[in-house]
Amino acid sequence: MELVIALGMNGIVWGLIIALIALGLSIIFGLLDIINIAHGDFFMVGTVMAWFVFETTGNYWLAFAIVPVLGFALGALIEYTVIQPIKNAAALSIVATFGLSIILQEGVRATYGAAPTRLTAPIEGTLPLFGLEYEIYRLFAALVSIAAIGCFFLFLHRTKLGTWMRAVRFDPETATAMGIPARRVYLVTFAIGFAMAALGGVVAGPITTVDFQAGVDVLPFCFMAVIIGGLGNMGGTVAAAVMLAFFEGVMASFTDPTMARIGSLCLMSLVLMVRPHGIFSGATR
Amino acid sequence: MTAAAINRLGLAVFALFTLAAPWLLPLVVDGFWVDIYSEMLIWSLLAASVNLLFGYVGLLSFGQALFFGMGMYGVAIGVAKLGLGFWPAFGLGVVLATAMAAVAGALAVRLTWHYFAIITVVFSLIFYFTALSWKPLTGGDDGLSFSMPPMLALGDDWELSLTDSTVQYYFIILVVGACYALMGVILKSPLGWAFRTVRENATRASLIGLNVYLIRLTAFIAAGFIAGVAGALFAFFGRYASASYMFYHVSGEAVVWAIIGGAGTLLGPVVGTSLLIVLREELSHAWEHYLILVGVIVILVVIFAPRGLGGVWHALVRRVARAADEDAGGGDGEGRS
Repeated sequence: MELVIALGMNGIVWGLIIALIALGLSIIFGLLDIINIAHGDFFMVGTVMAWFVFETTGNYWLAFAIVPVLGFALGALIEYTVIQPIKNAAALSIVATFGLSIILQEGVRATYGAAPTRLTAPIEGTLPLFGLEYEIYRLFAALVSIAAIGCFFLFLHRTKLGTWMRAVRFDPETATAMGIPARRVYLVTFAIGFAMAALGGVVAGPITTVDFQAGVDVLPFCFMAVIIGGLGNMGGTVAAAVMLAFFEGVMASFTDPTMARIGSLCLMSLVLMVRPHGIFSGATR
Repeated sequence: MTAAAINRLGLAVFALFTLAAPWLLPLVVDGFWVDIYSEMLIWSLLAASVNLLFGYVGLLSFGQALFFGMGMYGVAIGVAKLGLGFWPAFGLGVVLATAMAAVAGALAVRLTWHYFAIITVVFSLIFYFTALSWKPLTGGDDGLSFSMPPMLALGDDWELSLTDSTVQYYFIILVVGACYALMGVILKSPLGWAFRTVRENATRASLIGLNVYLIRLTAFIAAGFIAGVAGALFAFFGRYASASYMFYHVSGEAVVWAIIGGAGTLLGPVVGTSLLIVLREELSHAWEHYLILVGVIVILVVIFAPRGLGGVWHALVRRVARAADEDAGGGDGEGRS
């Protein structure tokens, strides 16, 4: 039973981090119609940048502040050079971001190296919780993710830029006609998407390993959260990510991790078959 | 010269080159390019299966590696575990892939666009992880290797086998050529036009009485068959099958090859696949991190040739044909045609 609780909790924590990354994917997907194959690598670059900040300054906390800013800048640069020339062509975006994914992975392998490393958590120690000793850092990671997701929703619904983003998404032509600088909104959206994935990387760094291939596992998970939650339904994305990761964590306490993965994938195809437009599609209409 | 004539000429040059490659390539570059050329042709079939679905029916599949893997494992398990001969194993691979495509397709083509793309990834991941964990049958991480059974044995001292590299080369181009011919025939038939109609507008297609579901399913099974043939060939080519070829990354590469080559052109996938494999072979000797350059080139192609290299070719041919027409129309009597 303790194992079930522990792995279930790990699942929820991991699900919240995935939700943070997947929200970045979702706004890029929803607003720019870009199928971003490189999004997992954005996360991976986040973990590597966190490692780099820790190596140079010796302080992991700085990474929480610096890496999202670096991610934002990188995202803006990529949008300007790669995404803008192919705007609004989803099929081309797959190829372009695939190229981007190769560049990022190989770039990290060339500079950081191919050997995975483990970061030590900035908070050590455990806390008694539900009858087991749970790592404090994982709880902290969950809190940071929740806070970041909350800030993102506030930003989207309470600021001018967030309103612009929703407006451009709803109807780009009318939005442009009403004076919203759509191009700049696209740029900022993509940059925010990268920054969120990078923040996810900082949060997840001490939980997983820093590895140039880390994005490959994360990417399908994020896409599934976005699709199962319902395209464009941000709350659904968060719920789907947490539920999938929780389900997989609980499954993993009964069988080996690969079987758990197969189980969650089967669950996902079932959901897609029964509710092709996401589990919450009824709620939004 | 008309555009069609130039295209025919290009095709003839390509066919002649392919037939002569086992002699030509060692003369011009190096003998090992014959192997690379065969590999290129096999992989181009996987890209062609993506192209058949995406370029002609408008369904973007990120799971074609599943059927490639089925073809591969059908051959490897048939030879190594069941002790089958060459042809039964080949048949097993292709039948397994096609059957899998029929089952997966019956579920998947109910969905479209993003949902279809994600369900194909999910299906291929399910079987990727199954193949990884089912070690007694698939060999898991290590894969499954086998020794080549003879294709044809007459008496005790004469046999035809792919261990002879010339036989292997011609066997591969024969099968690959047959697949492209089959696709060409399908795409010229009424079914092929039904494919394009569904791609352009599924609602209208259903309103003029086409069964959209059945047409999509037919295309999906055909694409699965093509990918299965590619996988079976690749298993024979490498005498090996491995779960890693079923991962979604392989499907993704096939999508990239197809789009770089030009989605919706029959031979575009060959061009795209060739370009990227030649780049890999040439650049990997020059620089350890050559993949960075590959990524840059992929992005540049997409930005500057959004219709793919096939699109560039067709635009070029049209321009040449028009220029020739104008010259002929100018009537300076030099007789260029």
